[in-house]
This record gives sequence, C-alpha cells and structure tokens, in this order.
Amino acid sequence: MSSTTESLNALLASLGQAFDKIPGSAVLVRYVKSSHQNDPGRTVLEVILIIFAIFTLLQSRTRGNDGRHFIKFEDKEIDELVDEWTPEPLAAPLNAFEASDLAAVPIIVGHNGPKPTLARQPTKMIANLASYNFTGLAGKEVIKERAIETLRKYGLGSCGPPGFYGTLDVHMTLERDIADFLGTEAAIIYSQGFSTISSVIPAFCKRGDIIVADRGVNFTIQKGIQISRSTVRWYDHNDLKSLEDVLDSVEKERKKRRGPLTRRFIITEGIFEKDGAMIDLPKLIELKYRKKYRLILDESISFGTVGRTGRGLTELYNVPATKVDILIGSMANGLCAAGGFCAGSQHVIDHQQINGPSFVYSASMPALLAVSASEGIDILRSSPSILTKLQQNIRVARTILDELDCISVPSHPASPIIHLHIRKPTPTLLHPSSAVSAGHSLKPSNPTSVLPREAVNWDWDTDAEERALQQVVEEALRRGVMITRAKRLRGQEMVEARPSIKLALTSELSTDEVKKAVKVVAQALKDVLRK
Amino acid sequence: LKPRGRSGSIVKVEQIGDRLEEVLDRSAYVNINADWVNAKGAWLIHVVLICVGKLIIDTIPGMTQQVSWTLVNLIYLALTYLMFHWVTGIPFENDLHGGAYDDLTLWEQIDDGAQYTPAKKWLLGVPIALFLASTHYTNYNPWLFAVNISALVFVLIPKLPQLHRRRVRFIHDYASGVATPVTP
Repeated sequence: MSSTTESLNALLASLGQAFDKIPGSAVLVRYVKSSHQNDPGRTVLEVILIIFAIFTLLQSRTRGNDGRHFIKFEDKEIDELVDEWTPEPLAAPLNAFEASDLAAVPIIVGHNGPKPTLARQPTKMIANLASYNFTGLAGKEVIKERAIETLRKYGLGSCGPPGFYGTLDVHMTLERDIADFLGTEAAIIYSQGFSTISSVIPAFCKRGDIIVADRGVNFTIQKGIQISRSTVRWYDHNDLKSLEDVLDSVEKERKKRRGPLTRRFIITEGIFEKDGAMIDLPKLIELKYRKKYRLILDESISFGTVGRTGRGLTELYNVPATKVDILIGSMANGLCAAGGFCAGSQHVIDHQQINGPSFVYSASMPALLAVSASEGIDILRSSPSILTKLQQNIRVARTILDELDCISVPSHPASPIIHLHIRKPTPTLLHPSSAVSAGHSLKPSNPTSVLPREAVNWDWDTDAEERALQQVVEEALRRGVMITRAKRLRGQEMVEARPSIKLALTSELSTDEVKKAVKVVAQALKDVLRK
Repeated sequence: LKPRGRSGSIVKVEQIGDRLEEVLDRSAYVNINADWVNAKGAWLIHVVLICVGKLIIDTIPGMTQQVSWTLVNLIYLALTYLMFHWVTGIPFENDLHGGAYDDLTLWEQIDDGAQYTPAKKWLLGVPIALFLASTHYTNYNPWLFAVNISALVFVLIPKLPQLHRRRVRFIHDYASGVATPVTP
C-alpha cells in the first residue's frame, strides 16, 4: 500500500517539476491563486463555467434551419443520380382527354360576333353563347372607327408601365370616365383583367391583416390572397349568416389573443364567376359597417351587365358606390375592351399607383383599347335599352333551362352567365344523409378550412362529367349553337369547381334567336345526358 | 353547451414553426439586421463598450469595486438580453421581407439559424469572460456573487441550441399561442 502511494507521490512531483519548466506557468499559478481567493465553492462554479465555455467553443458549426432539407449523398449516389437524369420535354405530351379537348376548340373565320362562321362548318352559326359579349359592344362600328383613329394617332403599344412614360391622356380620360360612371372619387386602370384583383389585394392586405373571403371566389382572388400573406378565414358560399358567424369568431379570437387591432377585409364577388350566384349587397354593406370591416368587391362579371345602365350591383341595388371601399371591375368582360379597373376613394387609388404590383411592373394598355372602353361607357350611359334587352334574353333563356330536369342551374336569375351542372338523381328523402345534402349543413363550418363542411359529400366524377359536357358542347355545335364548358385549372384551385357549361348571354341576339338557340342547347342536353 | 377550454399550464415551452411562404420571404434578400454581427468591428465593440462603461461607472462618487463590477455585469447582460433575446422582428428594411421575421429574435436570425457559428461563440464567450474577470479582480460577498452568477446563467440559457426557436411562456390563456394566427 505504501509503495503505491510513494510511487504516486513521485509521479506528482515529477509532473510538478515538468510543469514549472513550462514558460508562463508561474503567471498561471499566480492568477489561479488570486482568483481562488480561498473559496473552493466559487472556484468549482467558475471551473464549470470555463469547461462549458471551452466545450461550446470546440463544437463545430451546424447547418441553418436545423438542416431540415439537407440530405447527405455519397459520391456514388450522386454519380447514380446524375447518370439516370433525363431532361423533361419543354412541352409535356398531352393525355388523351387534353388532346381531344384541344382538337375540339372551334376555329372562327373572320371576326367574332353573335353569329360567327366556323372553319369546320361553313354554314353560319345560329348563335354564339360562349363569348363574353354581354352588351354587344364587341362589334359596334362606332367603337371600331374610334379605335382605328386612335391607332393611327398613337400607334399600337404604350411602351412602358404606367409610372414610367406609359400613361397617355386617353388612360387618364378613361379613369375619369369610369369614376364618373360609377360615382366614385377616382379610378385606376390595370392592363390585364386577370391581374387586377390579384394586384389590388396584396397592395392593401399584408401579413398580419385579416381577410374574410367567400369559399367560392375565383382563381385570381385566391392567388391574390395567397400572395398577400394575410390571415384568411373562409365563410360559406354566398351565405351572409355564415359570414356574420365568421366575423364574430375572428373578433373573439383577437380578444383572446389580446392582439392589436389590425386591418380587416371582406373579399367577395358581385356575381361569382364560378357559378353565377349574386350577393345581397345592401345587407353585406350593413354588416361591414356594423363589424367595421373594409369591403373588396370584385365586379368582374357584374360591371357592364346589371343595373339600369350597366353600372353594376351598386346601381341594381341602388347603393352609392362610395359605400364599397374597393370596387374592382373588368373592362375585358363588361366593356369588351381590355384590362380591369379599381374604383374607390382618392386615397385608395393613390396608394395603388405606387403599391399595386401590376400597375407598377406591367405595361399599360394600348391607347386604342382605352378609347374603346371609354366609347363603351358612353354607349352604355346613353342607351339603357341594351341592358333591358339583355335582361329579357336572360329571362327567356332561364325559362327554358329551368324546365329541364337533367341539369341544375346554380346561377342567379339576373346573372348574364348561366352555369349548368349535371343534376344527380336525387336520393330518396327517407335517407338520413339527404338532410345534410339538401344544402343546409347542421354544424357551422370551420373558418380556417377552405373546404366547406359539405365537401365530404362531394362525390361527382370530374372526368366523366367533363366528358359528358364536352359531348353536349359538340352536339350543340353540330346543330349550330356555339357553347363552351367552363374551363378550369384542375389541380391549382383551392377548391375544385364542379364541371359545368357556361352560357354567356348577349343583347345582340333577338329574343327569338335566343329562344331558338337555348332550345337547341336544351335538346342537346336532353339527348346526351339521357343516354 | 360549449366544452370547457383546456386550462393553461403555468410554464409552457412552445416552438416557433415555419410556413413555406415565410421561408420564401426570408430567403429573397440578405437580412442586414442579422449580418452586422459578422461585420468588422462588431466583436471588438463589446470590449470597448464594457471598458468605457466600467470607466464611467467608476467615476460615480462612493463606488466600490464590488458594486462597480456588479453593475457593469448586470447592465451588459440586461442590454444584450434585450437586444438579442427579447425583441423580435427587424427594424431596418422591413419591406423587403414583409414581416417574415416578426416572430424571430435577433439570436435566431443570425447566420440563418445555424448553431455554433463564430459570431454566436463570441457572443456566448463575452459574458462568461466578463464574469470571470470580475470575480478575479474583486472579492464578491456571497450575495453579490449569487446575483452575478444567476444573471449570467439566466442570459446563457436562451443562447443554448436546444432553445432555438422555442419560447417559454408563463400562465398563458389561449390554446394556440403563436402571435399571428396561421392558416393551414
């Protein structure tokens, strides 16, 4: 026992001597002695700290974001992956349905109009119920002459974004005309109808703001909401009771979180492009004033088609347009020109001149189209008979279509676009699930989910219905009426839309012609769908 | 009849998650608010400010060495905690990132969230070195020693990689505690 302690002592002594020989060891010994200050407890804590610091300094750096997306490949694996890579073709080959769809697109010879000539069938068509030409402005000689004059004066393109030498006097005239027509303070034009609302929404709604949107809004609005990074809550399609519930739940959420008051918006369409339903504007405005939300109303379909002179839903319901905070319309749909506009107070418009992405970065529209739009507004203002004719045609078409039992029509009776869905055979009323599928859900839906509660009951076969509707379209084309299915971006929308045929009525056709054409469509539907 | 909400725990640790849009908005531009810790002089400024602070505090009449070192220690720890671990979001170039950094503290933004980077090692070493220097140069009475070391440990805790993007919450009422409600 003593020999081991002796050898241990000798070892320690030799270590001490070796340590003393290292230069600077005396300094270290002095430092440790004065730090220690005869207090072993503190020294232990400090030594723990020093060990922790050295341990941390010796660790190697990790990847950012926890390296979640990093996979470490071996060299052999990298070689294998490189060898088996083949580039995808620039244009993916079409599948059978897409190829037949492309082949079935009608080619119009000459100019488009209410009675176009098709390449495949040299005989003249009876009616064109596919193109958006609601008030017949597409073929007016007056507009054509003015457009040609403008083309000779300004050339074709405007050569720049509106903020950078792209604004012409005709653009400013058009903005003034639109503001006067609608009765708002000011208006701003965008050169493409699709990108109008998807620029307006991110200009005003930012991350942290609250958007309450209808579940049936169109693709552009969905994209705008996604770009804006705002918090979205959804309410049932065209259901103001559900909207009120969602507004209440948002307020409750905010109170629970004790968060600050952020900007809040309700986004909806005047006439929905997805199914032609129309909202109840006065009630919506009353609701928005009560709950203190701003309203963004997309009147892409309803501007130029409803109301006494085509001013849209505000004229139809006799509501001043200043009550809608941000009113968006489409000159491509309503005035047969191009582009879209946003109307509102002066502040709303001034903000968009710097902050509307499409306004700042896209070229402004050609002068001749701006002049066509201005002329279109003049024509609408001076001849309200066009609108009465359009409404008459819609009524005639609806009387014929409502009698059919093979289709269901979700559109509003005054809507110029009429969607036709294939009607499924109704289940027997004794079945308990029919109470839910009858349209009134038993529980309120979840505002954070874009799918409504009934989505679990949606069981239509998209491909089969599209094929059936395409057959209807081709049958009607053979008999002389040009109609179309509603073309959708499958797989890209948040909520998949039901396949439908979209009829666009026009005031250019006389009532008898409309009656004849819609009867042909009804017959085609009956013939194809009964099989 | 609504069911009773779950009662909140006294202490809860919750994770700050990421949506794809936030990752995209962060990676679009360089974040100058977090890059300055790697710039020239950003490390030396700690030493300079500590020395200047010590000199100024020493000029206060009636200041003993113990209190002076304690004050320097505590003020440095408080200011660095406030700057690196309390405030979230970015003060400069906020428009470029559109609020994508609103939930992250400066510590979590440094070097895109990588751990054990040189800047983080320096920022962890300076408080420890300051504390060790202070215990070397004065003889603290037990109370001041306890105060100093507990402040140091309190500030070292959020610098650990285990607490990256985690928030410790005391007695919170709501079920989902993230600051901005997220859409699925």
